[in-house]
Amino acid sequence: MIRMTAEPLLSIRDLSVRFRLPEGEAVAVDGVSLDLMPGEVLGIVGESGSGKSQILYAMMGLLASNGRAGGQVRFQGQDLLSLPPRALDRVRGQSLSMIFQDPMTSLNPFMRVGDQLAETLRVHQGLSRDAAWKAAVAMLDRVRIPDAASRARRYPHEFSGGMRQRVMIAMALLAKPRLLLADEPTTALDVTIQAQVLDLMAELARETGTSIILVTHDLGVVARLCDRVVVLYGGRVMEEARTETLFDNAAHPYTRGLLAAMPRLEAPLTPRLGTIPGTPRSGGGDVSGCPFAPRCPDRIDICTKARPPMRITGEGRRAACHLVEEAQ
Amino acid sequence: MIRFVVKRLWNGALTLAALVTLTFFVMRLAPGGPFSKNRKLSPEVIANIEATYHLDEPLWMQFGRFVWGLLRLDLGPSTRFRDYSVGDIIASGLPYSLTIGFWAVIVATTVGIALGVAGALRRNGFTDYAAGTIGVIGIAIPIFVIGPVMQAVFALKLSWVPVGGWNDGWRSLILPVIVLSLPNIAYISRLTRTSMIETMRENYVRTARAKGIGEWRTIWRHTLKGTLLPVIAYLGPATAAIITGSILIETIFALPGIGRHFVDAALNRDYPLVMGITLLYGGLLILFNIATDLVRAWLDPRLRHDG
Repeated sequence: MIRMTAEPLLSIRDLSVRFRLPEGEAVAVDGVSLDLMPGEVLGIVGESGSGKSQILYAMMGLLASNGRAGGQVRFQGQDLLSLPPRALDRVRGQSLSMIFQDPMTSLNPFMRVGDQLAETLRVHQGLSRDAAWKAAVAMLDRVRIPDAASRARRYPHEFSGGMRQRVMIAMALLAKPRLLLADEPTTALDVTIQAQVLDLMAELARETGTSIILVTHDLGVVARLCDRVVVLYGGRVMEEARTETLFDNAAHPYTRGLLAAMPRLEAPLTPRLGTIPGTPRSGGGDVSGCPFAPRCPDRIDICTKARPPMRITGEGRRAACHLVEEAQ
Repeated sequence: MIRFVVKRLWNGALTLAALVTLTFFVMRLAPGGPFSKNRKLSPEVIANIEATYHLDEPLWMQFGRFVWGLLRLDLGPSTRFRDYSVGDIIASGLPYSLTIGFWAVIVATTVGIALGVAGALRRNGFTDYAAGTIGVIGIAIPIFVIGPVMQAVFALKLSWVPVGGWNDGWRSLILPVIVLSLPNIAYISRLTRTSMIETMRENYVRTARAKGIGEWRTIWRHTLKGTLLPVIAYLGPATAAIITGSILIETIFALPGIGRHFVDAALNRDYPLVMGITLLYGGLLILFNIATDLVRAWLDPRLRHDG
């Protein structure tokens, strides 16, 4: 675990997410622990099915009806997982908010955009219709929706994908939350506007002192925005490090594989991009060894038999790999 | 909005014209005529009758005559009920069918939607199973079984309501309205339940939950419209069908509505009456479809701009 002097804003301890399925139980998240400091931007990286989004859904109480979360999520002195619905609703949308992956379907098509924003303030802060509307328009203006006052009267289908995601960002940051959860916020957007939307999100979060957990499979996005990165595979934390450390000197073979699979401008032009052989493990039952072992180029005997312990490998660094040495 | 309505009305008129033309010729293609089932008549008498009703003219002339009458709102005399015009027959039966149909639609809509919503909110709970049972019963057991059973229990055994007829004011309405609405309650409640469960899985409902606005507000403000859209699409045409009467209901409860004419007129080859009833039902169907589109556009802004 990372030791810092300040009190973390969020600490997740041994979080697990399981789904009941007709063919048995699937483990999506398996014993994940992490801390987040106020104002920090943390990236959670992993491929599809690594459980990264489910961590956010578990925190928000938005798991599918057949999903169960275990462990602890301490946020502002409360365990989010054991809060009764009403108490959770006082946290969600107020001090904890979320941006979703698909802006095309995440806004209510039957409701004016301004009303969808204003609703949050009316419910949480008891603002009058007028005051909430004015605040909504002001926020739309801050996410650079042109002509916000008249745009607020429009419906989501009259906005482009990038604009809708900016509306989502406005909605999420409206109540100045302490923590913003962003679930692949730019995956569904045009490459040309991805950076724009991300920068806007980061900039506004910085202004309000909001911490961010950014879930993504895009290491470029991580490099651009995140202070620290957690690498996830098969529902488990593989490695955690400060962003620059991770890119310069990854400890875990999986992280090295991910980095090798990333196209780089400065690298010599080779005919093919690096790949990790095999297919990603999709959450089945419990695995006894390391979930990455079947695909790992550095695998040794013990990897398939014993679960690698989480080792602190340096200042703010940890990795779960049998080949990694504990720092002295 | 006005352009949208005018355009739809114009399209509706064209549809109705096509429907009427088709019905006119198909009806005459069928073997036999309005008087072929009467006892043997002498050729002179037949010629006389045919001349009276213009059945001796070529088809295109008959059609022209019919269209000319239609433009003057005159559908001509019934060939079966000789002393009555088609207009008289429809005018005498329609109020009964409309009254029963109106209440049946009201009951079916409110009860159906309420049961569907309750079932979707407490999935697999008691209400859901109760609503599901009513649904299966309402769809599976035909009216001609439910009707007499209810008459036997509530009219004959318990004497709460009259067996049939139209002489006891609102009490005469109770059984026919219940029996007529039952299959629709069943269908609407199933439709509402499915639609609501689907809507609750929408991403935007998840967004509403994430806003922490509370379960009740999430359902009321963010799920209801999406739930009702398919229900309203069903209600439009169903209303046209229900208020134009049902031969089964009218036969079982001895009511003087127009439902029975739907079947009788065709069997008797009562050409003018068939045309009149086709016009009535077709016209209502088109009107209710337009009304449905308007309500849907009012609910869903995405439907507003494509006229």
